[in-house]
Amino acid sequence: MFEAGVREYREIYWTPDYAPRDTDVLAAFRVVPQPEVAPEEAAAAVAAESSTATWTTVWTDRLTTLERYQAHAYRLEPVPGRPDQYLAYIAYPLELFEEGSVSSMIASITGNVFGFKAIRALRLEDLRIPVALVTTFQGPPTGIQVERDRLNKYGRPLIGATLKPKLGLSARNYGRACYELLAGGLDFTKDDENITSQPFMRWRDRYQFVTEAVSKAEQETGERKGHYLNVTAPDCEQMLERADFAKELGSPIIMHDFLVGGFAAHTTLSRWCRRNGMLLHVHRALHAVIDRQKDHGIHFRVLAKWLRLAGGDHLHTGTVVGKLEGERETTLGVLDLLRESHVPANRNRGLFFDQDWASLPAVLPAASGGIHVWHMPALVDIFGDDSVLQFGGGSAGHPQGSRAGATANRVALEACVQARNEGRDLTADGAQILKEAASRSSELAAAMETWREIRFDFEAVDTPDVMSA
Amino acid sequence: MMLETFSYLPALSAGQIASQLRSILDRRLVVGIEFTNAPDPHDHYWAMWKLPLFDVADPAAVLAELDACRRANPGAYIKINGYDPVRQGQVVSFVAARPAES
Repeated sequence: MFEAGVREYREIYWTPDYAPRDTDVLAAFRVVPQPEVAPEEAAAAVAAESSTATWTTVWTDRLTTLERYQAHAYRLEPVPGRPDQYLAYIAYPLELFEEGSVSSMIASITGNVFGFKAIRALRLEDLRIPVALVTTFQGPPTGIQVERDRLNKYGRPLIGATLKPKLGLSARNYGRACYELLAGGLDFTKDDENITSQPFMRWRDRYQFVTEAVSKAEQETGERKGHYLNVTAPDCEQMLERADFAKELGSPIIMHDFLVGGFAAHTTLSRWCRRNGMLLHVHRALHAVIDRQKDHGIHFRVLAKWLRLAGGDHLHTGTVVGKLEGERETTLGVLDLLRESHVPANRNRGLFFDQDWASLPAVLPAASGGIHVWHMPALVDIFGDDSVLQFGGGSAGHPQGSRAGATANRVALEACVQARNEGRDLTADGAQILKEAASRSSELAAAMETWREIRFDFEAVDTPDVMSA
Repeated sequence: MMLETFSYLPALSAGQIASQLRSILDRRLVVGIEFTNAPDPHDHYWAMWKLPLFDVADPAAVLAELDACRRANPGAYIKINGYDPVRQGQVVSFVAARPAES
């Protein structure tokens, strides 16, 4: 018979004896229950509402085997120093998720539960995606090694710049700024995220002038160059129209804002890039709205995992040292998630689970935002060779202009790589390495003089919790 | 012509090239030497100077081959590559010698 009524979630969904299976999707949530709600009930509520349950029993529950589809809240941990908060671990059966669909995962795991009244705040800290699900995704269209092989760039971080001012340049002047930076020694230039196709510069005009700039800089330097042409558009048809034109012009790379466009549009574009041999640079506008506050939202490491599944060849990650939020250990954890095949759990870096990526290609982390030549030793040390370091203001702000600014950054980069390979310590000797290089480069000397005192020392908001043993 | 990694630094001395080789060999990469008279940013295949130097552990042995390549090809750009068999790709590459007049 059908027993109508309301049952406590924990009767079914709080299962501390449950042993997670290798094929389960595992989630670690930070939960702040309402004061009158027990933590077990709060954890169970999250498991219930993100899987099989609604607030009341329904007769149609009896037409299926809910045990097969229900999520299990299987562990609770207090958060050190925050008596109102708990970490709740929840396991979801593989069958709850559509193959190759980030959209499916987002709708399931971060749906209603985030607005649930019994919970004051909720944050998805980490997600273990089982290999069985990973292998249903295409992943990055190109991957780090193939990008290097195509562009013939080895043994150093790649180096780029976002064109400034962000807004208001005509297409022809924009191409000029691009050419100066690339001819000065950068590998890439980049559309800022708010450049799409405004009245002052329509996308087709920008693409044409920028392509000329890239081609001219390649001929002069003997090096491959590229510009991240932003194809973020009002709709998917126009997004693909822009991507097609970039390909027609011979651009090696395009750019998309994955959270702005949404995962469905982004996945479409990522698959288009794989089919068309195009590199995909991924910007992350909107992320800090979702990921910055510790108590509520989705941690960036989860957004980064979803991006690796949906596909991107570069992803912005924060710089640690620049103007934007990004605590060091947390950022190192994200770098591992983007670049490694297997990432072991490491709570000091905020990694709650082992993550196995099977043979999914890797993503190049992009460090961008308020960085300049004085940061170079730290950036090379933190990010290593497989990264792209982007100096927008730190190039065009040079007293002798963009070309000299680009050269200054390239000289600083190569001096740091050379010194590192010679066994020198970039942390201890960084300033000395730069000074030696500046004695042979007037461009670097001028850059070092301009930005000597500029630092961004603010306390991070999003930090890993101190773990006791 | 700038030609990628280290081309924005003053030309590396033999001692500096040896230091880079030391780090390549310490990483257990396979060293290869390639050369061309006409570098082109879209050309992936310069001529190989012999086969890659499998099992070489001493930077001096690589420097000797670099010198032999330079004497045989005085008008050539010559680069040193480090190949990672695990990653199945090059991970290091820099031009170590240029034509005398360039």
